[in-house]
Amino acid sequence: MKTRDQEYRELFMAEALEYYDSMSRHLSELERNPNAGPSLNELFRLMHNLKANARAMGFNDLGEVAHHLETLFGLIRDQERTFSGPLTRVVFTGVDALGNMIRAVGANQPLPDATALLDNLDRLVRGEEPILDAEEAAESEEESNKKMELSDLVYIQVKKLDNLLNLVGELVIDRDRIMTLAQELDNPALLATAQHLFRISDDLQYSVMDARLVGVGVLLNKFPRVVRDVASAEGKEVELTLSGQDVQIDRNILQIITDALLHLVRNAVSHGLETTEQRLAAGKPVVGKLNLSALTERDDVLIQVRDDGRGINTEAVRRKAVERGLVSANTAATLDEKAVWAFLFEPGFSMAQKVTDISGRGVGLDVVKLALDSLGGQLRVESELGVGTTFTLVLPTSIAVKGALLVEVEERPYAVPLLHTDTVLSLHPGQISVVGGVLVTYFQEQSVPLVPLRQLLYDEGDGPLPFATRDDITGPQQVLVVNYNNRRLGLVVDRFIRQQNIVIKPLSKPLDTIDLFGGVTLLGSGQVCLVLDVPALTRLFLNKRP
Amino acid sequence: MAEIELAAAPKAERAKPAELVQLIVFRLGDEDYGIRIEQVKEVTVTPEVARMPKTPPFIKGIANLRGDIIAILDLEERFRLRPAGRPLPERSYTVAVEAADYTLGLMVREVPRPFTLPLSQIEPAPEFVQDAGTRDKYLEGIAKLPEGGIIIVLDMRKLLTPSEVLRLPGKGASS
Amino acid sequence: MNKRILIVDDSFYMRTMLKNMLTDAGYEVVGEAANGAQALEMATATSPDLITLDVILPDNTGLDVLKSLRQIQPSAKVVMCSAVGQEVIVTEAIENGALAYIVKPFSEEKVLEIVGSALQGDASEQSA
Repeated sequence: MKTRDQEYRELFMAEALEYYDSMSRHLSELERNPNAGPSLNELFRLMHNLKANARAMGFNDLGEVAHHLETLFGLIRDQERTFSGPLTRVVFTGVDALGNMIRAVGANQPLPDATALLDNLDRLVRGEEPILDAEEAAESEEESNKKMELSDLVYIQVKKLDNLLNLVGELVIDRDRIMTLAQELDNPALLATAQHLFRISDDLQYSVMDARLVGVGVLLNKFPRVVRDVASAEGKEVELTLSGQDVQIDRNILQIITDALLHLVRNAVSHGLETTEQRLAAGKPVVGKLNLSALTERDDVLIQVRDDGRGINTEAVRRKAVERGLVSANTAATLDEKAVWAFLFEPGFSMAQKVTDISGRGVGLDVVKLALDSLGGQLRVESELGVGTTFTLVLPTSIAVKGALLVEVEERPYAVPLLHTDTVLSLHPGQISVVGGVLVTYFQEQSVPLVPLRQLLYDEGDGPLPFATRDDITGPQQVLVVNYNNRRLGLVVDRFIRQQNIVIKPLSKPLDTIDLFGGVTLLGSGQVCLVLDVPALTRLFLNKRP
Repeated sequence: MAEIELAAAPKAERAKPAELVQLIVFRLGDEDYGIRIEQVKEVTVTPEVARMPKTPPFIKGIANLRGDIIAILDLEERFRLRPAGRPLPERSYTVAVEAADYTLGLMVREVPRPFTLPLSQIEPAPEFVQDAGTRDKYLEGIAKLPEGGIIIVLDMRKLLTPSEVLRLPGKGASS
Repeated sequence: MNKRILIVDDSFYMRTMLKNMLTDAGYEVVGEAANGAQALEMATATSPDLITLDVILPDNTGLDVLKSLRQIQPSAKVVMCSAVGQEVIVTEAIENGALAYIVKPFSEEKVLEIVGSALQGDASEQSA
């Protein structure tokens, strides 16, 4: 695991080496033209930065040499000294010394002594002659024989990586196309080349995805401070433990869930954990426990926020959902725990009794849901009254490529991201009943409403779906069970095509306003395939159920 | 579309230089329509169109045009110009037109052709165009050809605003 | 709303440290500019509540950038950042509307204290 200190050290080294190379370059320019203004300004700036950075890292000797050189270059720039004679020698020695010191930092060795150099620099600043000896001159000649070193770290803008990933996405689409064509043409040489292209682009895709991965720790490590602040504002004692910081995830995914995670953590401290008095009264340890952990599960990354607080009061949530008009009292009474908890993530639903300045602000946990929806992620909630609550964010490792199930409706393919699929069922009519005009089946001891995907997609108008009757069901029904916010919905499709990794392209204007589709993908055949947005489909079904 | 036919303008008018307009002309229903060539990105045989649920009927769907996914519009349907019982032909053409930040495809039944005429021949849209309530909003004007016949010149910039393109039925239900 | 901060510093290392300190404290870092031109561009695009401005930048002096910033984003509060040795510029910066200055190397406590008080509008000249 990379700690923040290590990260700072790497940044410092990379930048210091870059500064050193740049200094050497500008010194050569200055040697040719002692009055080169831009080079003088640059040397002054580089020394200034190196000084500040070295001091921040605690490398005071390095900072001191840079500081002296900065002062000297300031004087040369202001034409109080000239870049000539013995001064030139001392400056070169000084920059070489910086190089040695930076390398020593990189190699974890003690910094070489710079007393004589500092003394000479002091003399020059005071306008005195430096003391130069033969040995020093010899040493500096050795410098030119030293190996040049470049940092083996490169800093790259995320934008450039995004661009690379998009290009790879396009490549993968074309590759699939070529693969299909090669199979159709049945030319062995073409097929062999296509297979080679397939492997290479696969490797390329994973390399690019890999370059974008960062440890979840870069986000988790920000939380001790947040928890401390929220806890002290709330007058609570909280012990935060972190784990799984080295689990790898796409940098942009981490960026997108930052606010959501912040919200969950603040919520856990403000509302999840009880006050000290309440904990004592409940016979619990005074210090509340909060655990933030990351782990991988199949291809997904799970980030969990676990507290040992009061747990979700299901009945209170149920009441509030009815008060807020999110559900009728009759329906609410029939909902199980998980279905009730799902209301916590509806827009505008907040259980906070008072609006604290830290987690209140009138924003509910719906931001969590929105962030997850935009990523095609999932949220799991586990809670036990009096024992604690665990929120689990289920995230894809990478944005660009998603596992999807291709289904067919009216001879058109549609892709459903695997993150939202529970299972596929082939049901005979006897396994389907009609309840209140809705087809229902029982799966894992839960009733799951069924709806023909055809109706959801193609029925016109805003009116409710037609009442279903048993006559609608003839022969076996192919059902894809999707899951959103702990709500299951069975989509009846014509047939399942296959499971496949897809690259999703966003829909362009003006069609991007139709939220039923998360984008499009091109199949190997060149066919355009719409990617269904399960959250939007689920909402559409809930709005239109008869 | 490299070759541009010159309109057969009367010789007398040739003498003074007139500002010329190049149009891409295509047939909708039984009328000729034109779009200024600078608003046209390309003309192609219509690629496979995937039906797009939850869109008005005049949006035929989406198609893959050189890696870009664009919406394909049927203007005959939009302007209600299709005579009853005349289906779209098996093979149709798509005029890809450019809006400010996206591209749209217009599906037409016959090969579109380029046509050049003096700007002065385009008369601003008259008020008396009575049919097809929505169409006159998008007219730049009407070109009367010397040999008879007219070309209705459409202004794509007016047509292509997203709110014009998409008057989505049932949008409230899905959002 | 979290207060939104733009960091202007030509050192990646310094920017990273400042950004970590500020985001840990719950501020939103809306941009990081490495030179004067970027600073002005980002300040226009993001309208930050506060800008931390390094006094020495590659393309411009921090002072020139400060003057332009005061013109295009008069509501943004500016805190100067400088290593010791450039006090003259800093004093001039304060005269030109900077609210405070942070002396590098800085401690997290001092940075947060100065930024916090600058945002509250009661900051006068302070140093770390």
